[in-house]
Amino acid sequence: MARIGVFVCHCGENISATVDCGKVAETIGKLKHVAYSTDYKYMCSDPGQTIIKDAIKEHNLTGVVVSACSPRMHEPTFRKACAEGGLNPFLCEMANLREHCSWVHEKNDLTTEKAIDIVRSQVEKVKLNSALQPIKVPVTRTALVIGGGIAGIQSALDIANCGHKVVMVERSPSIGGHMSQLSETFPTLDCSQCILTPRMVEVAQHPNITLYTYAEIESVEGFIGNFKVKIRKKAKSLDEKICTGCGLCTTKCPQKKIPNEFEQGMGMRPAIYIPFPQAVPNRPVIDREHCTYYIKGKCKVCEIVCPTKAIRFDQPDEILELEIGAIVVSTGFDIKHADFFPEYGYGKYKDIIDGLQFERLASASGPTTGAILRPSDGQVPKNIVFIACAGSRDPAKGIAYCSKICCMYTAKHAMLYKHKVHEGKAHVFYMDIRSGGKNYDEFVRRAIEEDHVNYIRGRVSTIYERDGKLIVKGVDTLLGAQPVEIVADMVVLATAGIASSGAEELAQKLHVSYDSHKFFAEAHPKLKPVETNTAGIFLAGACQNPKDIPDTVSQASGAAVKVAALFSQSELTREPLVAAVNRSGPPMYSTCVGCFLCQSVCPYQAIEREDFKTRDGKIIKTVAKINEGLCQGCGTCVALCRSKSIDLQGYSNNQVYAEVVALLNEY
Amino acid sequence: MNNLIARAKELLENKIVQVIVGYEAGPTGVARPAFITNPAKADLLIYDERCVQNLAVYLTKPEVRNLGKMAIVATLPVMRSIMMLISEQQIFADNIIVLGVSSDGSLLDIADIKVMQAYIEKSDLGNPVKDRALLVELNKLSKEERFAYWQKELSKCIKCYACRQACPLCYCTRCTVEVNQPQWIPVQSNTHGNMEWHILRAMHLAGRCISCGECGRACPVGIPCHLLTMQLADEVHNYFKVYAGTSEKMSSVLSTFEPNDKESFII
Repeated sequence: MARIGVFVCHCGENISATVDCGKVAETIGKLKHVAYSTDYKYMCSDPGQTIIKDAIKEHNLTGVVVSACSPRMHEPTFRKACAEGGLNPFLCEMANLREHCSWVHEKNDLTTEKAIDIVRSQVEKVKLNSALQPIKVPVTRTALVIGGGIAGIQSALDIANCGHKVVMVERSPSIGGHMSQLSETFPTLDCSQCILTPRMVEVAQHPNITLYTYAEIESVEGFIGNFKVKIRKKAKSLDEKICTGCGLCTTKCPQKKIPNEFEQGMGMRPAIYIPFPQAVPNRPVIDREHCTYYIKGKCKVCEIVCPTKAIRFDQPDEILELEIGAIVVSTGFDIKHADFFPEYGYGKYKDIIDGLQFERLASASGPTTGAILRPSDGQVPKNIVFIACAGSRDPAKGIAYCSKICCMYTAKHAMLYKHKVHEGKAHVFYMDIRSGGKNYDEFVRRAIEEDHVNYIRGRVSTIYERDGKLIVKGVDTLLGAQPVEIVADMVVLATAGIASSGAEELAQKLHVSYDSHKFFAEAHPKLKPVETNTAGIFLAGACQNPKDIPDTVSQASGAAVKVAALFSQSELTREPLVAAVNRSGPPMYSTCVGCFLCQSVCPYQAIEREDFKTRDGKIIKTVAKINEGLCQGCGTCVALCRSKSIDLQGYSNNQVYAEVVALLNEY
Repeated sequence: MNNLIARAKELLENKIVQVIVGYEAGPTGVARPAFITNPAKADLLIYDERCVQNLAVYLTKPEVRNLGKMAIVATLPVMRSIMMLISEQQIFADNIIVLGVSSDGSLLDIADIKVMQAYIEKSDLGNPVKDRALLVELNKLSKEERFAYWQKELSKCIKCYACRQACPLCYCTRCTVEVNQPQWIPVQSNTHGNMEWHILRAMHLAGRCISCGECGRACPVGIPCHLLTMQLADEVHNYFKVYAGTSEKMSSVLSTFEPNDKESFII
């Protein structure tokens, strides 16, 4: 017979201010099967937990209801206390008297009545609880890092330095990401390449890191600790082991008119190319889409000039199959380009560029070797306008969010311009200056006060060209919405940061959720910012939302420590609160009829097929089976199962039904 | 009909199938299901306007399955049932031969599942004409009137579950009503509990009902319970533009999501 113990917590005054906790304990104590009932000021405190442990032994309890706060915080605490008292931890339930009752009601008798009802329903539920055992899942201690920008680099290095193997996959020919394109970084104006390239080299040389560039994720199956990942290594059309990276082929390639992605289209590159001088690995790839040989069937100049005969025109794509324990997604972001803006001429004016293009102009390794020259005629712009929030915070353009980094980099751009063109005039149109961050506001003030950048609070309605000049029409809202017209030589748009191309497709392969802007979604915005809703897959950097470098690096290290924690044991212990398809003896085996509707709705691909066979191997029946490693206990399958053959352990239909019936019945 | 008998004989004699599921005339002249295993008895097969039952219901019964590979006399609703059963992985296309019959009683040449699919696709897949008319009448009623109508009708239910037994898609070996931990549907017959049963049955058939009307025909107390599932078939077609039982790879409308699905019914 059930012997339930009920422990009513005052939560200081959080509960007792509106609920008569003594009366709750007393009333519940009189219920059938309740062997012990008491109240205490702080149940989660050490003496509080001792009350529970002692009562379990003294009253030989078969179940415990802690009537306190939300289970989110303290369910593990009380389950642990029960385990220490000698009771299976899953025989402990929490009745949420704080969020569900005391905080949302006035102090009166009805509030106490409701509290009693909540506890009663949990008493009925816990009677039906079973002593569950934690699930053990083996862990493959190899991490996969998808994306080789600064986020991926940081994560990979941190995980590798913990002594675990890391596989890094980068879809472009070199790692480095957007950070390698930047000129200087705010708020210190140190050179981006100078701080990044040593890290890139460290990745390439680290004994624990295997780097696959020019590679993409083909498919991801499996579950936390046990992912099976297929990687497509796109053909680089050369033998990397033989190639010395001398670069002779890249200088001799006759096809030289391909817009250079690294230079944001402001320079040209050949068909066989190394994306930038500091690339890691420093080996070229052949861009088959533009290579004359692949288009016309002849050329092969690179093959002729190659001193080590490393070119392989017939190299196929290679599919690698890897066993992976945890995944860090660090695929970064893209930006909207100038052609997104009808009011600024849909990209038809050459001297309206985006922020990344300005970075390349300002970069010592860029197309102008660091001189600020306008793209149309190569002249130094004397009057330059920067427009912040180009696309961002503009629901009409479908981007309601703040891209976060633009205020800071716009200040940086204006400053860099002033440092290079002393006599020039820099104007910034802004909506608000968002410079929260260590030394960030000081940086913006420096731009305004020391470098005399003209900040105008207002938006730009239109830009058009007149006599080779760009006429920027805006408004100054700090001067009573007075119209402003600036005749500029060049305009830089701080365009919105958007999700990386292919992010949605990747999210679907990984089965992680993403928001309406295709940014990957975290499991909890505050308390689980690096986890996804799929166990074992973590987020780092701007693939979650636009982030600056310090935030990205912090998050990348955060993701790394989550992976390291996961890899700290050879087995993973999971809560057994997962779905289970029933089993019975032959000839039924299970009431499941194998319609597999559950399989189509499961968001975690946790439902497998199990065949029951005769001794000679003939299949008698095929039924559903839950993979306990993958199941997250969401219960969608339970709701859809027509024959009620699936139940959620710890929240079985029977338990929930008992709760509801308890609430409906008088006591 | 002669073609049907000849084909049935041929299938049995050549041991291509072990059993023919079809119709025969009972002692009072009413058509009843026949399970013919002996080629000599193939002459008993009939097909005419008396043959209304949806024979697909027998495809999942272990007693019939154990007879061996089968051929089935299939009207349009039977073919659609077969499609549903294949898509829900209850039968395999390779294990069944379809002796399709058209509405005028002639034997169709259904060589394989693709041919059957093509035949289904060019047929009228809406609800039967007389039921359409009944639904139009019912939908003219106000919500309250309609509720009162169904309360009156369903109060007659004796919970014999003939509707379930007659339905080819109610193939679960253990039905929800047989679960008593917890007892979802009350055992005894009362208006409230009867409504629970019929609503549950209709929901379990939402997006799956192939509008054969067998449930209503089977009801011994004359409840037009087929109108519930047929109305849902209409709703599903209206929202998702699909008819059940038209493809062997059909995914359930209730378990799949397309970004352009209409969501106007979500309150």
